[in-house]
Amino acid sequence: MLAFVAFSLRRAWQGFWRNSVMSLAATATMVLMLMLLSGLLILWTGLHSTLDYVQSEVQVVAYLNDSATSQDVTHLTSDLKAMPQVTSVAYVSKAEALRRFQQRQPGVANLVDSLPTNPLPASFEISLRDPADYIDVATYLRGQGVVESVQDIQKTVSQMIAVINIVSTVGIVVMLVVALTVLFIIVNTIRLAVVARSEEIEIMRLVGASDAFIRWPFIFEGAFVGLLGALITIGLLVLIQAPLANLLSGFFNVLPVQASAMVGQNVALIVLATGIGIGVVGSYVSVRSYLSR
Amino acid sequence: MARSHPTDSTADGLPVLSLRGVTKTYPNGKSALRDVTLSVPEGDFVFLVGPSGAGKSTLIRLLIREELATKGKVMLEGRDLARLNRRDVPQIRRRIGIVFQDFKLLPNKSVRDNVAFALEVTGTPRSRIAPAVDRVLRVVGLAAQADQRPAELSGGEQQRTAIARALVHDPRLFIADEPTGNLDPLISWEIIQLLLRINEMGVTVLMATHNAEVVTALRKRVVGLEDGRVVRDETGAAYHRED
Repeated sequence: MLAFVAFSLRRAWQGFWRNSVMSLAATATMVLMLMLLSGLLILWTGLHSTLDYVQSEVQVVAYLNDSATSQDVTHLTSDLKAMPQVTSVAYVSKAEALRRFQQRQPGVANLVDSLPTNPLPASFEISLRDPADYIDVATYLRGQGVVESVQDIQKTVSQMIAVINIVSTVGIVVMLVVALTVLFIIVNTIRLAVVARSEEIEIMRLVGASDAFIRWPFIFEGAFVGLLGALITIGLLVLIQAPLANLLSGFFNVLPVQASAMVGQNVALIVLATGIGIGVVGSYVSVRSYLSR
Repeated sequence: MARSHPTDSTADGLPVLSLRGVTKTYPNGKSALRDVTLSVPEGDFVFLVGPSGAGKSTLIRLLIREELATKGKVMLEGRDLARLNRRDVPQIRRRIGIVFQDFKLLPNKSVRDNVAFALEVTGTPRSRIAPAVDRVLRVVGLAAQADQRPAELSGGEQQRTAIARALVHDPRLFIADEPTGNLDPLISWEIIQLLLRINEMGVTVLMATHNAEVVTALRKRVVGLEDGRVVRDETGAAYHRED
């Protein structure tokens, strides 16, 4: 067994360098594909954590019209608190709303002073147990006479989901096309390696080598192309990590999320598995069609 | 003076190989062998003669199970090759040593490595490879040339390297397909002497050849093929039919 593995690895290594130009070209295309894959993974992870953040912060904000009395407010507050979906209810009076506005926009604070009445509506800020309950609570609130309008955060969330879906679909299609191209290149690289060794393969068959001894060196050779491609890709990712993180935090700066070590580890594992996987499948296909004569 | 060989007889020992009613028809409709019946007992030395295209190479390809018979049975050491599991084929091939007219040596390997290759690719532990290689190189008389590459050797030495490689698995049957086809008469005789020695060691030898001088001089068993049929099977015969 040990002799078999040592033999196969040695032959795979020789095979890789025997046709080095072709092997390195295959490795380079492998790197391109894996870089694309990593980019998509990082983008996808970023979008998802943004979505999670937005969803976890979902509050229902309901603006009241000015005719609402303090009884209405007390009544609605207790009704809302009684709802199982609601965790907390905060009432923001017109005066409080104005104070917040002045705090946030000190530049135009004087402007408000010159108005005859306070234009800002009173509101309820309702936190939910589960973002999915948003629609129930919003529908209930819209049914109340004193509620002027309900802020539609759901729209923002569904727009984000739509963006993520488009990115995922386009990304997967592009990935598939590129992966198939890389697979094709690997199949051809290994086929050339097989043809270059056809004399050796003939002798191996004549002296009674089992199929495993003939097949595995080529599969290791394909796996080697994948492994090398994956390691180069991971190396490049580590190199561009710092500028990339800056770029990302600029892009997602509204969020407290960071491209964590977990994300990096997952991407590295996926890159390794994809690279080696495509290398192995490509060479297996190539050798199988040759040996099954 | 040549006596006809009884076909399909096991009288003089267990047959190493036997063919019964073997026909090989290729997909293009061409029949390479027609109803061939042949039995070779252990320790025999058989010349396979006949014009080009008579079916000698097809017969050899059937014996090493490179191809399967269309009809009939090919048995090697009592095993029906058609019923052999695909994964058992390599085991059977290790029981057969085979050499060709074109030697089939790997040009970038030394004599020693060419012979060792046959053991390496069949999973022989490293510790057993070197002694086995040294032993067969002594048998074929190439111990001194072990580190040379095929290009540095004469034709006869190259063929002896191929013979060493074919011997390294201790085969029961040794097949030589036109082994002297590329060699001059003197060197050819050296190769024949070597094959006779291998035969004396108890290995059954089947040699396909056009070399009339050798066949006639040795008076061994001669199986003649013509147009896919066995037209003669005589012991102690000459290259050409004498009756």
